[in-house]
Amino acid sequence: MSHNFNLPPLDIEQYTLENGLRVVLNRDDAVPVVALAVYYDVGSRNEREGRTGFAHLFEHMMFQGSENVKKAEHFQYIMKAGGTMNGTTSSERTNYFETLPASELPLALWLESDRMRSLAVTQENLDNQREAVKEEKRLRYDNQPYGQIFDLIAEMIYKNFANAHSTIGSMEHLDDASVEDVQEFFRIYYAPNNAVLVLSGAFDPDTARQLIETYFADIPSQPLPPAIDVEEPREVAQTYKAWEDKLAPFPAFLIGWKIPKRRSPEFSALYLAGKLLYDGESSRLYQKLVKGEESVIQLFGFTDERRGPSSIYIGAIPKPEKDLSKIRDTIMTEIDDIAKHGPTADEMQKLHNQLINDMVRMRQSSQGRAQNIAEFALYDGDPTLINSEMETLLSITPDEIRSTVREYLDSENRSLLDVVPAGKG
Amino acid sequence: MKTAPGPLAPVPFNIPQAFTTTLENGLKVVIFEDSRLPLISYRLAFMTGDADDPEEAVGLTSAMASMLTEGTENYSSLALAEKIERLGASLSASSSDDFTIIAASTLALYNSEILNLLAEVLFRPTFPVGELDLYRRNMIENLKFQRSQPNFLANEQTARLLYGEHPYSRVSPTASDIEKLTSEALSEFHRLQFVPNNAILVVVGDVECGTLLDEIRGHFDDWERGAVLKGKTVETVSRQDPILTIVDRPGSAQSNIVLANLAIRRDDPDYFAVLVMNQVLGAGASSRVFMNLREEKGYTYGAYTRVDSKKLAGDFEATAEVRTAVTGESLKEFFYELDRIRDEDVADAELADAKNFLTGVFPIRAETQEGLTNLIVSQELYGLPEDYLQTYRDNVAAVSAAEVRRVANKYIHPQKMAIVIVGDAGEILPQAKEYASEIEIFDTEGNSMDIDSYANDASAEASDFSGAWKLSLDFQGQKVPISLNIQQDGINVTGTLETILGNGKITDGSVRGNKISATANTDIQGQSVEFVINGTLSGDDITGTISAAIIPDSLPFAGSRSA
Repeated sequence: MSHNFNLPPLDIEQYTLENGLRVVLNRDDAVPVVALAVYYDVGSRNEREGRTGFAHLFEHMMFQGSENVKKAEHFQYIMKAGGTMNGTTSSERTNYFETLPASELPLALWLESDRMRSLAVTQENLDNQREAVKEEKRLRYDNQPYGQIFDLIAEMIYKNFANAHSTIGSMEHLDDASVEDVQEFFRIYYAPNNAVLVLSGAFDPDTARQLIETYFADIPSQPLPPAIDVEEPREVAQTYKAWEDKLAPFPAFLIGWKIPKRRSPEFSALYLAGKLLYDGESSRLYQKLVKGEESVIQLFGFTDERRGPSSIYIGAIPKPEKDLSKIRDTIMTEIDDIAKHGPTADEMQKLHNQLINDMVRMRQSSQGRAQNIAEFALYDGDPTLINSEMETLLSITPDEIRSTVREYLDSENRSLLDVVPAGKG
Repeated sequence: MKTAPGPLAPVPFNIPQAFTTTLENGLKVVIFEDSRLPLISYRLAFMTGDADDPEEAVGLTSAMASMLTEGTENYSSLALAEKIERLGASLSASSSDDFTIIAASTLALYNSEILNLLAEVLFRPTFPVGELDLYRRNMIENLKFQRSQPNFLANEQTARLLYGEHPYSRVSPTASDIEKLTSEALSEFHRLQFVPNNAILVVVGDVECGTLLDEIRGHFDDWERGAVLKGKTVETVSRQDPILTIVDRPGSAQSNIVLANLAIRRDDPDYFAVLVMNQVLGAGASSRVFMNLREEKGYTYGAYTRVDSKKLAGDFEATAEVRTAVTGESLKEFFYELDRIRDEDVADAELADAKNFLTGVFPIRAETQEGLTNLIVSQELYGLPEDYLQTYRDNVAAVSAAEVRRVANKYIHPQKMAIVIVGDAGEILPQAKEYASEIEIFDTEGNSMDIDSYANDASAEASDFSGAWKLSLDFQGQKVPISLNIQQDGINVTGTLETILGNGKITDGSVRGNKISATANTDIQGQSVEFVINGTLSGDDITGTISAAIIPDSLPFAGSRSA
């Protein structure tokens, strides 16, 4: 029954400006709101050794003002217009986005174009944002229990430097950066031909095209950024590490596997296997560990989706006095069961309904649509994949899930990080 | 283009009125047809919540709600979870101070299935003993974890100071409350509490109203009326003087500050004026306290004010997590802003910006079905006017500068506030004590502590810090020389700070016992930087820390008097 679910395709219009800026328009008039997402093809994967943390530092710099927008004015303009905004950095890309009342489309486009054209890379802004990044690292990583484990395990899984190092990067590297380094980074990566602009929501397409032409067309293109190599051997870099965490109140562990790239058949099969293992109260591991054995306080798992080799994680914070190795045995027993027998028919039905539900819910918000479309446009060169991706996932068979789990989620070629509480008490 | 472009023609956003009816048994049904996507959301809400717990059974309402989905006459906890998730749907129940809500959402094609399951957990829960045991153990474990979180500790004290014996004073049941819960008590409470004449069913989604109403009647028409059991009404605390409550959390890098007083109920006619006032003062990243404490002073990652308005009472709070060394300075800036919004009319442009934000984000909040459902549910639960959502933006737009000032004076009381600070009490006390006439200190378990053990040095006679000091600053493992020249007059200190980066001037430092605290306004490459100096004297030696907005950690120093 779920296979016949009929979701009308989103209206997708795409074109490229002469300077190479890729534009995607997704018109949907349901609510008088417009969402803008600008994705630059630069993330921590583009950083060289000795220069880590640049992509993220740059995300901060983008709020420090440009030719016609003063420092901190960007978010004030947006808020005063009744909008919301933010920016984030990952291994794959740096994104900037805002959602505004439909009538404020010109403001959003003007703000994004001004900083794409003329970011104010000054010594003062650089010094100031270096300190802000240090503050952020302290707050979000160094001063949080378990705050560093995801960066640590990435270093254990990946051998290639481009994949292994963290997005927050090294504070020493940031200190070494000169204004010239940062200006050069901007010139190379923040060029219109290295970006995707997506509009989703209530707008008149002709007006939108005209505004985009007015604001973005005269931004000069740049030579393509240097090619990067993200290839990995099959083996993980390191299989075991014990990590002393001063802030952790309880022991914990995290297991990670290296898996093929996003949207490969293998990645998709493992994404679905992961949902069966750790997603929701009916998932296999929730029922075994939180319910059956009553051995864990918290269970979690997720896939880290990358254009190159990617990863899947399962972690737990056990209850006091519980045997960690026994919990890991339970996890591996369930994985082995899927590797031998595959998902049950009930589980396949659950997956199908959840995939449809997720896809429909994602479509509700203009910003959700804009960001999903931007990923397909930037990573795959095809924004219309948003209309076919659900069918692709629905067509994965139980046997594909079984064989992929057997091939990739074994107990040898994986990284295990043990978190050992090392606080005062 | 040099200047920001103006807006296009505004696009109206019209929320149609919902269909409303009341069944014979008193259940109010609100249906809102929303065919944007094939989804449906349900909220079955009871007008009683944690505040209506029986006095001898605190935590009963929230336990009952959580346990509804942990076993019924026809399904075990596992079978229920599988059944719900196999539909790709969700179904859960929870309680807040005022309400108990069963929430469900699903793809429209599984509407009948999810409605069946909603009725199953509503009418036939069994509260299995084994599941309740697990719930109790996990809750107690979780409570231990909560006590390590500074936010929890600050909220606990704030609620106690504002609400006293009122049930809103409880932020969580205690371990012994949780241990007392039994399956029998939950069953009995469920039978008494879940009556249709105390409930509202809100449905938003891709449905045909008439068809759905028939289906709803099929499930709910036989549900029998009953008496509505409300909790005891208790007075909140009427405070005449400021009080300072410190929760000592030794070794904290930050002070969690909460300044609070009682304010308005959710249905108060002043709600919109208070909403706009709070937007100007502290609700967002372009509001006054954020611009002052974070953007200008760099004391904190974020500083905000908030208005929490519930059914029976409400409060106003100003909050920030600041570096310990600037706790006193942060209080000073908070009170400056609280006074300013009371004493001066807000400028036209600032008022317009605040109102634009509130009216502009309103449609963004209504974009998703969950967002729209929450708006409709709160309108119904708080008994707001029928056209509340339709007139929301007009009501915001109508607030004047005079009204902002009026409600600021009516609902913010700087002279009668509860000041709660979680952090290092020894460091906080000397910085904060001047702000309150009554002071109390607790440990993180809630035990009252002896103030004198923290206050000894403060009451002692001021030591003599005057003279020239040669100090060594530890900057990331490197020793950096700095010097201080201090002139002292009683407890007041002036002088200079000399560093290799530039020199600073101290104009209003102070001495308490053997402790000195001072701020040096320093010029570094044309930029003005405030260094906050905190030191402790021992003979002719001094140790302490220096901090500034531009350095993430405070830097330790040590040295001695040279002349």
